[in-house]
Amino acid sequence: MTTTEMDCATAESLVDAYLDGELPVAEALAFERALESCPPVRRRLADARALRAGFQALAYHRAPAALAASVENLLPQPARRPAMRLDAGWMRMAATILIALGIGWLGGRYLPLPTGGDETAEIVAGYLRATMAERPVEVASSDRHTVKPWFSGKIDYAPLVYDLTTEGFPLLGGRIDLIDGRKVAVLVYRRNRHTLALFTWPDAARSAPTMDHRDGFAIEGWAQNGFAFRAVSDLAPDELKQFAAALGARLEADR
Amino acid sequence: MGMIDPALAARFRALVLPHLDAAYNHARRLTRDPTEAQDLVQESYLRAWRYFASFHGEAAKPWLFRIVRNTFVSMRDKRGEATAPLELADVDMDVGLAELHGMSQAAPSPERVLMEADTRRLLEESLDALALPLREILLLREVEELSYKEIATILDIAIGTVMSRLARAREALAAELRRRMKES
Repeated sequence: MTTTEMDCATAESLVDAYLDGELPVAEALAFERALESCPPVRRRLADARALRAGFQALAYHRAPAALAASVENLLPQPARRPAMRLDAGWMRMAATILIALGIGWLGGRYLPLPTGGDETAEIVAGYLRATMAERPVEVASSDRHTVKPWFSGKIDYAPLVYDLTTEGFPLLGGRIDLIDGRKVAVLVYRRNRHTLALFTWPDAARSAPTMDHRDGFAIEGWAQNGFAFRAVSDLAPDELKQFAAALGARLEADR
Repeated sequence: MGMIDPALAARFRALVLPHLDAAYNHARRLTRDPTEAQDLVQESYLRAWRYFASFHGEAAKPWLFRIVRNTFVSMRDKRGEATAPLELADVDMDVGLAELHGMSQAAPSPERVLMEADTRRLLEESLDALALPLREILLLREVEELSYKEIATILDIAIGTVMSRLARAREALAAELRRRMKES
């Protein structure tokens, strides 16, 4: 990038682009330096800023409730399945009893996913955040040795990272999301045109995979090698199971 | 696509529904009529939902705004109202530009007067007085704060055209403000 001086005429022609945030960094810096020696450009910039402030003071018309309702009616309504709600304390106790009875991993089959609150809803919301973002991942790499270190300092644990390209689930990269108020590692995989997000956090208990469904998304949850895993996608449930099995096999091999 | 309907609806809720207020505000300022704005947004969302299977994860807001715009044009066409101004060739707007440039040197800056009280109405009126394509591009940039690239997508024009039309729109607005201030 050039570090040469910008003349006043050039600077004047770039006032709008500068204020609109459309100048490349080097040019924006040259523009700012030029301001010092170009009073007319400073005046134009002040004018443009004042106009912007005027726009920001304009009334913002919110959609009337009737319109919001009729738009909502265009969509198929989500089926609300009545779910058995258990409080976290009771569940922890129940899990302890099950483990004590020596049927530890079987318990996962019959218990809802652990932790309080509506975890499934949070996982689905986290999945949608990943797929709606301009970039579904904050660190883009299929290399586990790039993705894993990226998490250090951002969350308080080191997640287990595997690229499953050979199994048909290439790793796109990683991101961070909040589940139950806690920062959680999310690994993003691709399957054909679908995105799969894997949420993972430390969990000493071991539990076998169980599948849950919400709003058309499938969520496969289990715990293994000291970590809990929640794989979520709009994939067919069978394909999600395939993913869980592939990851489970890798984890087992590294145990 | 293989995505089942409820998943599609959940995605639509998460990606497109949050822009309802923005779409309505934009429609209000585009049509200048609350009833027409409601019809426009309702019809736009209907189309958006219908086309949603072909949405491939690009930014949702420009995608929706492009539908709003196309719906606006087709609704006005249906009512036999000319939307010619929306398609106004940009060269047409060159007329009088030189004159505007001359004026902008003279009078005290109208933009800065906006900082004073009771000038919001002045801006509203000046904005409403602008030709539709100029008003439209100013709203997309100043109110919706969309990037040049996003505006280019919505209006289906080149980025260079976005820049020149935006510059013309700003000049025209300043001239309109100046004229109204002189009157009052």
